[in-house]
Amino acid sequence: MIYLFYLFATISVISALFVVAAKSPVNSVISLIVCFLSIAGHYILLNAQFLAMVHIIVYTGAIMVLFLFVIMLLNLNKSTEPQKSLITRIAAVAAGGLFLLTLLGAIKNGIGIATPGGYDGGIGLVKSVGMSLFTDFLVPFELSSVLFLSAIIGAVMLGKKESTAKQMATGDSAYAGLNQAEHIVR
Amino acid sequence: MSALILTSVLGVILLYLGLFGGKKLLAPVGILGLLGAIALFVMDKQYINIPQFANMLSFDAMGISFSIGLLVITILIFIFGIDYYANEEKNVAEQFALMIFSVTGALMMVSYTNLLSLFLGIEILSIPLYILAGGKRNSMRSGEASFKYFLLGSFSSAFLLMGIALIYGVAASFELPKVMAMAATSGTNILFLLGCFFVIVGMTFKVAAVPFHFWSPDVYEGAPTLVTTFMATVVKMAAFAALFRFVTMIGMPAAVGKALLLIAIVTLLVGNITALRQSHFKRLMAYSSIAHSGFLLMAILSNSANTPSVLFYYTFTYALATVGLFIVFTVAKRAANGDEHIRIFRGLFRSQPWIGVMLLVMMLSLAGIPPFAGFFAKVNVFMLALGAGQIGLTVFAVVMALVGIYYYAVVVREAFTASENEPALVVAPTNWLVISLCGIAVLVLGVMPGWLL
Repeated sequence: MIYLFYLFATISVISALFVVAAKSPVNSVISLIVCFLSIAGHYILLNAQFLAMVHIIVYTGAIMVLFLFVIMLLNLNKSTEPQKSLITRIAAVAAGGLFLLTLLGAIKNGIGIATPGGYDGGIGLVKSVGMSLFTDFLVPFELSSVLFLSAIIGAVMLGKKESTAKQMATGDSAYAGLNQAEHIVR
Repeated sequence: MSALILTSVLGVILLYLGLFGGKKLLAPVGILGLLGAIALFVMDKQYINIPQFANMLSFDAMGISFSIGLLVITILIFIFGIDYYANEEKNVAEQFALMIFSVTGALMMVSYTNLLSLFLGIEILSIPLYILAGGKRNSMRSGEASFKYFLLGSFSSAFLLMGIALIYGVAASFELPKVMAMAATSGTNILFLLGCFFVIVGMTFKVAAVPFHFWSPDVYEGAPTLVTTFMATVVKMAAFAALFRFVTMIGMPAAVGKALLLIAIVTLLVGNITALRQSHFKRLMAYSSIAHSGFLLMAILSNSANTPSVLFYYTFTYALATVGLFIVFTVAKRAANGDEHIRIFRGLFRSQPWIGVMLLVMMLSLAGIPPFAGFFAKVNVFMLALGAGQIGLTVFAVVMALVGIYYYAVVVREAFTASENEPALVVAPTNWLVISLCGIAVLVLGVMPGWLL
């Protein structure tokens, strides 16, 4: 078990480093997919099967594929990549450093404060998630179908090609893309 | 509860009707279904005041009256839709269905007892609206409205969600009764107050209160008129009911009261003053709606036992007048070849005396002139505010109400001025019916406010 944890942890950290270090955006996205998969492995180790599956389906599947499509459609490569100015770099380093400092401070002060109360080891199992979805959270669960349905209708409605509106063709396709993106994300 | 199920299924039925080419049937079936939902709300006595489904929703007196009010307004908008969509071939079923879905969200918002259902209700209300605002496919403005509303709406949802998360962090529960108990013991917890503040930011965005109002004139202007009507009425009613439920639940800590007071003052000031300079009818209505948000915020601020009924009376009569006015506007806009300047009303009284009189009635009601309903609505709000000891605020609001009379009077003056070239106004029978219904209702409710209060 502990070896599996170290394996996943190493993969996560290394692939996360590759995401930022990779020169080509496509490589970066693929490393991000690897990173997400290894994080899903962590979820399984923590007995959270449902979260692991959703993580793979939603993040690795839908969102990352969307990223890949966007990168390929925009045709990003080195020559079009804008060069960051010195001020931007300094600001980025400062912001990242401050964030790191905050995290370190939170960890330092947070150790020992939290008293884990009544943790149920089976809480992340598909069965218990399903149980609470269909008992306590039945109304939100069922009504969110209305939400998805309207999002789908919107994607179809705004994305459908209109034969009469020719001069709007460019603008429309942008909105359609946006809506599709929204649909996938949700 | 069964009404919620009915409205969700009704939207799907309308989609199927559209699929099989029953375009003529869409609005009648929709209206019938909404009437059924009203009947269910009236009849389902066994649900009253009993929390449903693990404290997700509770249909108390306020929730039921707001639900019925929302459904009535939606029916009026659907009758308007018969004529509005008469010449349109595509996507009519989708637009009706999206409106039904949106109302489903609104019904959730007026009777939630759980922050989870509040958030879900707001999202179900908003997502169809983002799409509906972009309903005019070949209009750049409509696309802009949709996109702007979508971006800013998502942003405000993020605020709301952050607030709910903070409240959950303190109360360890989404359920209002538990949050209420926590607020009573540790109501000054800084995280809790911050959470309340974020939730209020998210909700005041939906009601278009200053300083979160910048989207509303552009979106009102760009969206199709029918959708604008829907946004100005149904969304406002639902959002105010939801805001009131939230504020009563947290027991109005002093800090939250101060924030709301500030928002109310700025909203009254900016809404009324900016409206003075508008000559575009939809933008004028947008600023008028912002100004009315200010008065409604005053009612929420006072937070007394009478507030729900005052709030309902105000929003309902405001919605009635707004629906009627937007239909008159559509009629005049068609005669003026799509112009949206308020001069299109010129000569209205000459060519259609009855419609002209109805416009006068509804405008005066919005302006708050007796004996119309808008006057009693405002008086009730002022009485509430006085009862809560807000004398300065009340005096300020009265001054702002007097300022507001001017911009409504400008439109009335246009309607009663004879124009050299008479506009050929064509009023469809369904539109005539809704305009008359709204105008008469505003008058009758003004004379007999006891029917609603």
